[in-house]
Amino acid sequence: MTLFLPAVEQGLIYGLMALGVYISFRVLAFPDLSVDGTFPLGAAVAATLIIAGWDPFLASLVAAGAGMVAGAFTGILSTKFRIQGLLAGVLTMIMLYSINLRIMGRPNLPLLGRPSALSTAVEALGLPYTWGLVVVAAILVLGIKLILDLFFHTEIGSAMRATGDNPHMVQAFGVNPETMVILGLALANGLVALSGALVAQYSGFADVGMGVGTIVAGLASVIVGEMLLRPRGVFWATVAVLLGSSLYRGAILVALRYGSVLGFTASDLKLLTALVVLGALMAPAIRARLRGEEA
Amino acid sequence: MILELSGIWKVFRLGTEAVEALCGVDLALEEGEFVTVIGSNGAGKSTLLNVIAGTCRPNRGRVRIGGKDVTKWPAHRRARWIGRVFQDPLRGTAAHMTLAENLALALKKGRRGFSLLLTPARKRYLRKLLEPLGMELERRLGERVGHLSGGERQAVTVLMATLARPKLLLLDEHTAALDPANAEKVLEITERLVGEARITTLMVTHRMDQALSLGNRLIMMHKGKIRLDLSAEEKERLSVADLVDLFRRLGVTDDALLLAGNGTNNAGDAYS
Ligand SMILES: Nc1ncnc2c1ncn2[C@@H]1O[C@H](COP(=O)(O)OP(=O)(O)OP(=O)(O)O)[C@@H](O)[C@H]1O
Ligand SMILES: [Mg+2]
Repeated sequence: MTLFLPAVEQGLIYGLMALGVYISFRVLAFPDLSVDGTFPLGAAVAATLIIAGWDPFLASLVAAGAGMVAGAFTGILSTKFRIQGLLAGVLTMIMLYSINLRIMGRPNLPLLGRPSALSTAVEALGLPYTWGLVVVAAILVLGIKLILDLFFHTEIGSAMRATGDNPHMVQAFGVNPETMVILGLALANGLVALSGALVAQYSGFADVGMGVGTIVAGLASVIVGEMLLRPRGVFWATVAVLLGSSLYRGAILVALRYGSVLGFTASDLKLLTALVVLGALMAPAIRARLRGEEA
Repeated sequence: MILELSGIWKVFRLGTEAVEALCGVDLALEEGEFVTVIGSNGAGKSTLLNVIAGTCRPNRGRVRIGGKDVTKWPAHRRARWIGRVFQDPLRGTAAHMTLAENLALALKKGRRGFSLLLTPARKRYLRKLLEPLGMELERRLGERVGHLSGGERQAVTVLMATLARPKLLLLDEHTAALDPANAEKVLEITERLVGEARITTLMVTHRMDQALSLGNRLIMMHKGKIRLDLSAEEKERLSVADLVDLFRRLGVTDDALLLAGNGTNNAGDAYS
């Protein structure tokens, strides 16, 4: 039970990142790897600004903006310059590694004792610190989720969904699929960077290496949520993503606390996460083979 | 003049090899014309439609739509004037979105903002549009388009292509992948929708009987050129056999085209 609240807290905060991954991978069908760079970008921008004395809310917003710019950059590389999506994302990610170091000035920025957006809100609302953070995180993240749901039902948001589904078709109906990809990746990476900014404030530091494996963690959340809820429509899909994110964070916390019994260390987490994703991705093929169909 | 093509050349380069798909095509369409287009495999029919729609940029020549030079316009900008249906029923709709969403996207062609795509009023309007198709699709507005059959999907695609009253409708063998009954149905729907709105139409077909019975003008392409351009009166007097004869005299000996002349529905060979 002591792990429950932190799992939900982290599930929600990291859930913004998972929502971003859902938008690029599922809505746009674009395998965007830039998130491994935009997550620490958000952390770096927010940490640097907070240390410079900025208001943590404003710092988080600017961090989200930086993520949007980076996402749009990946989108422009892949559409206007015809660079393969995977490669475009990797290029952005590598560039961001250097840029993040530049922003922070060193590989690690501690934020201990600095104001954080979420805890400032907890105090402002007069909530107890024990469960106040979960409430504030829930209000913020569910609010963003609902805005996303609404957006994906507007004309422009529907055009974005249709672009991932069938780019030929949207072009024939007056939508520029390239614009939709750029906008969508900006939105996705804005969420990922916002998540990075909040995670830095939550855990008390920004680190240039904190983005490694973000994409796998995000995919794990998306896939776990989908397997559990089998969502139809955007509303349930985003619920599934947040549920998957919380379960994933819970599993990590359990592994960190009790894993040592089985001989796991924190450094094995990435391997375990990748194996979970691999298992989920292989499941359909394995199931088909068991049923005797051609895979 | 709704459409004016002048001196269109299109050469595809595949490594060192050059394929001349269009070699100086001139074509002018008057408002309300329904033109059927036939020609052997690789004659350049699809490329011609791509050039008009803007998904393929010609090496030389001009494209004018409604008097406006749109040669350099990207496809999505011309889209508000052009409706398109392809042979593959999967190409014209978004499979994971609902029937209502697909239709509403077609309805809102070109204009896009932050208002909701589906309002109750819009849904009622879409239901009314589906009723005349006689496929009971009006009761399946909330269903994903991926669940519809090929014939249903193609009927929906034709409806979507004509929904926003385009100046031009481009049909590329749009019934070739359907079974005969569905092909008949989709063709009937096409004729009705085109007739009601008097949309200028270019229809590529492999079936000579169709090319003769439908529309009021017939074009035959061969090796990137328009080799035959028949008016409604000339068309009226021709039988399929006469048409095959005409082609032979023009030196067209393509088996597929001549086979198609025997009235067989050669859906099998038509994938290109
Ligand atoms: N994108 C492309 N790249 C290279 N060559 C192409 C391309 N598109 C068409 N071609 C070539 O251009 C020529 C004309 O092709 P097109 O598809 O216009 O023919 P078509 O008349 O539609 O034939 P079909 O009846 O088989 O559909 C063919 O030789 C084809 O191989
Ligand atoms: Mg063709």
